[in-house]
Amino acid sequence: MTNAREISVEYLARVEGEGSMRVKVVDDQIEHVEFSIFEPPRFFEAFLRGRPHTDAPDITARICGICPIAYQMSSVHAMENAFGVTVDGPLRELRRLIYCGEWIESHALHIYLLHAPDFLGYESGIHMAADHREVVEQGLRLKKAGNSIVGLVGGREIHPINVRVGGFYRVPTKRELEALIPELEWAKDAAVATVRLVSGFTFPDADLDYEFVSLSHPDEYPFNEGRIVSSKGLDLSIPEYNDYFLEEHVERSNALHSQIRERGAYHVGPLARYNLNFEKLTQLDQELAHEVGLGAVVTNPFKSIIVRAIETLYAVEEALRIIDEYVEPSEPYVAYTATEGEGHGASEAPRGLLYHRYRIHDDGRIADAQIVPPTSQNQLTIERDLRFVLEEHLDLPDDKLSWVLEQSIRNYDPCISCATHFLDLTVERG
Amino acid sequence: MADVVVIGVGNRVMGDDAVGPVVIDRLVGRVPDTVVLVESVGDATHLLDTWRDARLAVVVDAVVSGGVPGAVHRIDGLVGFPASWRSASTHLVGVAEAIGLGDALDMLPDELVVYGIEIGKVEPGVTLSPEVGAAADRVAEMIGAEMAGVSGS
Repeated sequence: MTNAREISVEYLARVEGEGSMRVKVVDDQIEHVEFSIFEPPRFFEAFLRGRPHTDAPDITARICGICPIAYQMSSVHAMENAFGVTVDGPLRELRRLIYCGEWIESHALHIYLLHAPDFLGYESGIHMAADHREVVEQGLRLKKAGNSIVGLVGGREIHPINVRVGGFYRVPTKRELEALIPELEWAKDAAVATVRLVSGFTFPDADLDYEFVSLSHPDEYPFNEGRIVSSKGLDLSIPEYNDYFLEEHVERSNALHSQIRERGAYHVGPLARYNLNFEKLTQLDQELAHEVGLGAVVTNPFKSIIVRAIETLYAVEEALRIIDEYVEPSEPYVAYTATEGEGHGASEAPRGLLYHRYRIHDDGRIADAQIVPPTSQNQLTIERDLRFVLEEHLDLPDDKLSWVLEQSIRNYDPCISCATHFLDLTVERG
Repeated sequence: MADVVVIGVGNRVMGDDAVGPVVIDRLVGRVPDTVVLVESVGDATHLLDTWRDARLAVVVDAVVSGGVPGAVHRIDGLVGFPASWRSASTHLVGVAEAIGLGDALDMLPDELVVYGIEIGKVEPGVTLSPEVGAAADRVAEMIGAEMAGVSGS
């Protein structure tokens, strides 16, 4: 006997971008699990062809309203790789600083307004604000501290325009940066409080076997540079990306799915960075992690919210360090000559590894572009998690099952594009 | 903080979705200097910060609600949106959430007007379709007229 049930949610709230999830369960057997995403980067790849290479940072920044810096950073690193440009010293530090700003704002938004409501039983951040006004206000202020860094170093908070190949159009003065310190000191305390707050949530049980992938650098928690490493032994330079990873069609979907060649799904984002770079966090971060019960490796994806909070704290501390040690560079950028060639760049967007590759004509125009955002790379892993959650929670009524499925998708803070927000969530039971 | 602010929500490289920022472009020089013009991607927290202390905020955003591309809706943002806007518009999830949050946290302007412009297909590109471009002109005129009315107060 079958009992036909169907859950339909108009859109998957609180996830940036467009996507849909479809799950089919027949007689308590999972028949179909699909998490599909709309992929504006594919369109942008075509849009970039023939344009000057100098357009790439500002155009790709428009792929996402929440993480424009990540797109700018991966694109400028790719161009610099193509032209043999090295950016170091204070300019390199400023790039880390602006990335700190983006992590703070993106993580604060996700923790407080998007994911915390799942754990606390609220339909949205708006509903949560009614009962937890001070908590939401703290989240908004923390996010604003990140915005301030992006606004100052990036030229403006929304669609920053100050990043260019070789460095910046204008660099901030020491005094301008120092003006950020009081609010960042507040943000440091707020970030510590955030770690303690979210670690008190109740987490669904999960101990999953992932291949974590992130950048790794010998001296620092990764933002812009490093080798691509994995928890199962990968260790490659950024230009080798396509030798080890591929995007291919899978039968059930038209979208390209990223995989490690001959191995399959992998996991990028805060959990991967944390697990592969724990010892690069500050002493405070590590002690706090232990205080709230996290080891050096976290395999419960629902605890990504705690890791995001720790990364927020790290980003605030790192921003304060950079500002303290900052010496104004003599030039705002490194001069270079565009040449024919190919370049690869990867950086750690708030949501994980973001890879760009460009081939450049001898006149400096873009011959072709490849952009692989973190959510595409997590797509198969998200589907695997959905299958796990279904298996664990099939006995739940539809509304509660739907809730935990959405919550598990938000573990990845999926963000494809702020160009569109329409989402469609359907659970079919036959 | 601005007494009167006009916020254009959208993405300049996504075709018709750029209509909010384009209206902002067309208002330059057409409104009193005291009116602050702001471009936004529709992030709720940015909207809250932009309008929280304003007496009047005007938001211009793209809408896909089944209407003809170029159709213009003008609503009182403090009263609520038509339900059809929430699920299918490109940015109004952000705008709607910002209004909800602003209500919960006392971060709304005294007066909030939302112009929704129906758009067609959204895909990368830096030009508006003719009908949406014409609507941008029309909305810029309407806002210009509203601003003339409020500038002396």
